[in-house]
Amino acid sequence: VTDDASLEDLLRTLAPQVLGALVRRWGQFGACEDAVQEALLAAAMQWPKEGQPDSPARWLIAVATRRLTDQMRSEAARRRREDMFAATPDANLVAPAADEARAGAHDDTLTLLFLCCHPALSAPSQIALTLRAVGGLTTAEIAHAFMVPEATMAKRVSRAKQLIRDSGGQFTMPPPAERDERLRAVLQVLYLIFNEGYTAAAGAELARSDLSSEAIRLTRLLHRLLPGDGEVTGLLALMLLTEARLAARARPDGSLIPLADQDRSLWNRELIEEGVGLVTGALASTRLGPYQIQAAIAAVHDEAERVEDTDWPQILALFQLLETISPSPMVTLSRAVAVAMVHGPAAGLDLIGQLEADERLARHHRLHAVRAHFLELAGDRDGAKVAYRTAASYATNIPERRYLEARAAERG
Amino acid sequence: MKYMLIIYGNRELWESFSPEVTREAIAAQDAFNKEYMATGELLGAYGLADVVQAKTVAVRDGLPAVTDGPYLETKEFLSSFCLVDVDSEQRALELAAKMPFASVRCVEVWPVLHEAGAEM
Repeated sequence: VTDDASLEDLLRTLAPQVLGALVRRWGQFGACEDAVQEALLAAAMQWPKEGQPDSPARWLIAVATRRLTDQMRSEAARRRREDMFAATPDANLVAPAADEARAGAHDDTLTLLFLCCHPALSAPSQIALTLRAVGGLTTAEIAHAFMVPEATMAKRVSRAKQLIRDSGGQFTMPPPAERDERLRAVLQVLYLIFNEGYTAAAGAELARSDLSSEAIRLTRLLHRLLPGDGEVTGLLALMLLTEARLAARARPDGSLIPLADQDRSLWNRELIEEGVGLVTGALASTRLGPYQIQAAIAAVHDEAERVEDTDWPQILALFQLLETISPSPMVTLSRAVAVAMVHGPAAGLDLIGQLEADERLARHHRLHAVRAHFLELAGDRDGAKVAYRTAASYATNIPERRYLEARAAERG
Repeated sequence: MKYMLIIYGNRELWESFSPEVTREAIAAQDAFNKEYMATGELLGAYGLADVVQAKTVAVRDGLPAVTDGPYLETKEFLSSFCLVDVDSEQRALELAAKMPFASVRCVEVWPVLHEAGAEM
């Protein structure tokens, strides 16, 4: 091992394979997960000093198995002391065969993802468990990234395991009838992780922006496992096409730059090319879904050399499609932006007027920000100023709030 | 999303509670704390000392001036607060309703500003 980064990459790639091999053999997802974390930690401490073993996976499985069996022995001893139960049979204390990490390692990773995004868990617990069990991050790293105390994150992880056990979650693939819905939950968790990192990337929160790279890494992994799934491909494309704008989306002081004002020469062409290729392929060959459409919209933006080259009629058509297959007030609000760009601000304001009756949106900063923008386009400076102020008062995201306050002040 | 759950009270109210009622109220709040620490939703819960111990600091011409008493000049004063990290506003309101004091008076719920969230 030459440097810390490549060691960390290796360990995090091996983490779900090692965990999969253990759970497959022993069951007891929760205990195996703890044992794998300890083995990863031991490797991170020992390998730089003592050299990397010939088979890192085998080493990790052996160490994790030893931790697990130690724990089983001490629990068995405790049970013997407490109520004279028989100890764990010796056969259960034997390490798995050396080549076991290879067999089914990929399927194991997929099964792990499904288990970590179990429907019995809340979104924060699904996220925490996915990052630990599949991503190989430590509890401290996850806690730091989400800005909560480490003790809180440890509780989330152990509670998530408990809930999985209580609800009978098994280390098996969900039955085919449930698979689509379970996969949707996995995609949502990965997208939440991505957004948490991407939207925080403006500031000095490097640990948080790492979350978007981690989400992309895990989604790439999922894409390799399910190359024929259009929505997995769509989500990966959406992440890449969004990540491509990372360098242009904020000033050095962390203040936000809206899409229209971004320096497009800073966009990452390689990511755009990859994202466009992925979404084009998925749209042509798989069942249509909301991530593919959102990726297609991101692709249209990314392919415009200048903001005035943006193909708004195509974006409008895509939003109409998205609203048909996955209707929500937020999608309608996004469509309103495209409507205003194609048919003028009055048409956009009309559509927004209908949305204001929706309670969920009436108190959402984005509705007022969009209305402010339309009023501005229509030449109503005073109205725009008031709407920007209203938007700022409903925003809870600090960079967004500062941006909206600045827009209001500029219109003074 | 993080939310601050805030309890206010006043001297009259606190003095109207018998020692036994106070003990029960504290036990009920402790049970709340324990339950939601375990779910990973409650990040911290803090009870504040009596209002006679509150001081207010203002720096004028570079010099700190410390005055006795809280900043807000009202009969009601801050009594305790919790910080929670939850999925949604709805969940924050549910937790507020589960705080024992919500059944006595009320609990105030404030979103805490954050760095990340939906894209613009």
